[in-house]
Amino acid sequence: MQLFVEQLLNGVQFGVMLFLMAAGLTLIFGAMGVINLAHGSLYMIGAYGAAFAGARTGSFVLAILAGCAAAALAGVLIELAVIRRLYTRNHLDQVLATFGLILFCNEGTAMLFGREPLFSEIPPQLTGSVPLLLGITYPVYRILIIAVGLVIALLLYLLLQKTRIGMLVRAGATHRDIVRALGVSIRALFTLIFGLGACLAGLAGAIAGPLLSVQVGMGEQILILTLVVIVIGGVGSVRGAFVGALIVGVTDTMIRIFLPGFLLLFLSNTEGADALAAGLSSMSVYLLMAAVLLWRPRGLFAAYD
Amino acid sequence: MSPIETSEPLLRVDGLTKRFGGITASDSISLDVGVGEIHAVIGPNGAGKTTLIGLLCGELRPAAGHVYFAGREITALSVSRRARLGLVRSFQIPSILPNLTVAENVALAVQTTLGRGYHFWADAGRNEALLQPARAAIAELALDGRRNVVAAALSHGEQRQLELAMVLATKPRLLLLDEPLAGMGAKESAFVAALLGRLKGRISMLLVEHDMEAVFALADRITVMVYGRVIAVGDAASIRANPEVQHAYLGEEQA
Amino acid sequence: MTDAVKPGLLGALAPAAEASPLSATRPVRRLLIAALVLLVALPPLFTYALGEPYLIALVSRMVILGLAAVSLDLVLGYGGLISFGHAAFFGVGGYAVAILAFHARHGDKFIGLIPSSSDMLVTLPAAVIAAALAAALIGALSLRTSGFPFVMITLALSQMVYFIFVSLKIYGGDDGMSMHGRNTLAGFSFADATTYYYLCLVLFLLFLFVCRRIVASRFGLVLRGCKDNERRVRSLGYPTYGYRLVAFTIAGAGAGLAGGLLANLDRFASPDMLHWQNSGNLMVMVILGGIGSLFGPALGAVLVISLETVLSRWTDHWMFYLGPILIAFVLFARRGLWGVIVDVADRNV
Repeated sequence: MQLFVEQLLNGVQFGVMLFLMAAGLTLIFGAMGVINLAHGSLYMIGAYGAAFAGARTGSFVLAILAGCAAAALAGVLIELAVIRRLYTRNHLDQVLATFGLILFCNEGTAMLFGREPLFSEIPPQLTGSVPLLLGITYPVYRILIIAVGLVIALLLYLLLQKTRIGMLVRAGATHRDIVRALGVSIRALFTLIFGLGACLAGLAGAIAGPLLSVQVGMGEQILILTLVVIVIGGVGSVRGAFVGALIVGVTDTMIRIFLPGFLLLFLSNTEGADALAAGLSSMSVYLLMAAVLLWRPRGLFAAYD
Repeated sequence: MSPIETSEPLLRVDGLTKRFGGITASDSISLDVGVGEIHAVIGPNGAGKTTLIGLLCGELRPAAGHVYFAGREITALSVSRRARLGLVRSFQIPSILPNLTVAENVALAVQTTLGRGYHFWADAGRNEALLQPARAAIAELALDGRRNVVAAALSHGEQRQLELAMVLATKPRLLLLDEPLAGMGAKESAFVAALLGRLKGRISMLLVEHDMEAVFALADRITVMVYGRVIAVGDAASIRANPEVQHAYLGEEQA
Repeated sequence: MTDAVKPGLLGALAPAAEASPLSATRPVRRLLIAALVLLVALPPLFTYALGEPYLIALVSRMVILGLAAVSLDLVLGYGGLISFGHAAFFGVGGYAVAILAFHARHGDKFIGLIPSSSDMLVTLPAAVIAAALAAALIGALSLRTSGFPFVMITLALSQMVYFIFVSLKIYGGDDGMSMHGRNTLAGFSFADATTYYYLCLVLFLLFLFVCRRIVASRFGLVLRGCKDNERRVRSLGYPTYGYRLVAFTIAGAGAGLAGGLLANLDRFASPDMLHWQNSGNLMVMVILGGIGSLFGPALGAVLVISLETVLSRWTDHWMFYLGPILIAFVLFARRGLWGVIVDVADRNV
């Protein structure tokens, strides 16, 4: 029972991190029409920024802030230098240019920090577990992540649905003239949106650092899962990103933990079963994505086109 | 030339209904088009004429109702399937292939008459079965001189002519024309209207148009729509005299 | 300033990019023939003269990846489909060859059913068929979408294929599979690097020829139309899903052939062949070389591999420089190297 609840919560925690990534990415595409493959790089920059600042200052809060700031800054620079020129381009150009950014960022990071993982650990105040209901305990740090994620989800919802800026963001892609007529600079708005998405990605990286390893290439692994989330949730929909992220997070975690044991009931060779289970577990979210696509080609919450 | 009398109309629409959220764009529309007939659909803006075309060509699925073409029910058929049966559409904004030349655009359309199946090997550029009818269609639409021009470089009027050449090249049985004269100058309008007149009797047409002069000159019958509903059907004279129609258009300038 | 007029109905070389009078220029045709002669004759002479036989393997790699890049151009340049999963088909081809060699050496059958072989008459078609099957499956699912979702799905599904192969410990898993020697062709051995180079070259030229026929055919016309305006092509009566799926499958088959050849070259099949970064690599070759021209991507393969070879002597982090180079090409020289060559040749007609 402990294991089940623990893994379920792990899945939620993973889902929350995926949501931070997916929300930014889907907003950027929905509002600006840009495919940004470099989103994973912003996640990585956040993780590195936090790890670096954390090691220097010993303060967890400063580390997180540093991670977000680093990613946001990188995001704004990228937007001004490259992304800005891609708004009128077709998708292929966007894919290739942002792929170029991935190469640049990954190798740049490797040049600065090397290819070995960077040291990053849960701050001492946040280690340990707390009891939840029914005698089940769960790590404090992960609870914090879930809490932060839910708060951000709520804030995003309020921002998009209840504020003027949010309305502008939602209007941005489809109704540029209206936005301009309101006296808002489209350029500034887009930079803002991109920076916001980058900040979210950086936050995800910063808090993920102590749990996963901080190394070059960490961005691309999570990027692909983020894309799966967006496909399942529906392009342009933040709500879809939320639901999709939780589904993917929980599915991936639960299957990874419980499938090997399940398979061992049928297979005798443990080494073969292990490898097979690992393979099948990795596949599970993609199979899920395929299933959703067969049923709803545009995702669960397809936004209006 | 009067439409050929047959017992079964070529296109029969029965109670077609389409809703978008809370709005009923098409409200139980029924009409029919006979073989060789030019049937115009008119109405003020927002009447749902383009929605109707979308429903008939297959891009939109109705909430209720049926569409019959040449006697068979096509309500569930896809766009490409309907086109293969001979129900071809033109778009309000000419829909062509901008990076292909005029000749290639028309050749692509001609190809649909050459049967199904993939042909990977033979050079399409030397295929007389393609080139001949393509040349004919291009000539009919007076685009000879522009044969090797990339479609994106054509003027708006020429692009519309190109689109017409394409739809004609598919040897359609019934054309769904969505405002074929929109955005055209007087000379070009006259040219296209004359072309449609020449085709009358050979090809059936359902024509959505705002240009009343052309409508009254070409159409055998006219259906009038207002807010998604059919309010009158009849020949030019009866429609012109219809008080409801006049009321619907009250205050609107005619083209 | 490109001339909008193209002589002839379709132009002999039917480029899919903006109307470039590729078909008209005889200088370009002479250039091509010259390049062909160089390609055939020089490498072996060059490598013997320099005393660096490993260079012939490098040129073989260029030809093989050129084949893969040309296959990608079919869907990317002519089909307008941004597939970020082409590496999956490349890798499936490579692994097909390696797996068959593995079982041939052990004297057993693949999954107990399929007899194995080290003969190219069996392994290369097997690579092609396996890759085509994978492409048909992935294409059937992905082509139900378009735009951004299509990119994401092809990327995700190809990563899934990667994970499948990495998890198969019996076939090397993370470390990949080595082969004891190159496949033979009905007894004829390809242990000699130069002979193998000529084989790769012949297959590459054959595939290039086939692609050119496809692009100029009726099928090719429909494909190019779909890239421009799918809605219109459907409205004319074409079942566009089917056409795109067939093109996707043919391209996958080509990539599989290239993968099989690479496995033979290196006598090694590695999961890296399947990795999405390899998909990106192939796309880079297509765009740097010149998208939608078939010849361009082949040139792009030469360019990228040369860059990689030269830059990696200077620094381990050569991709740091490739990134901005790629971005610069995308923003300022979108028609790639081939576009530049055609323009220069035109001006000197």
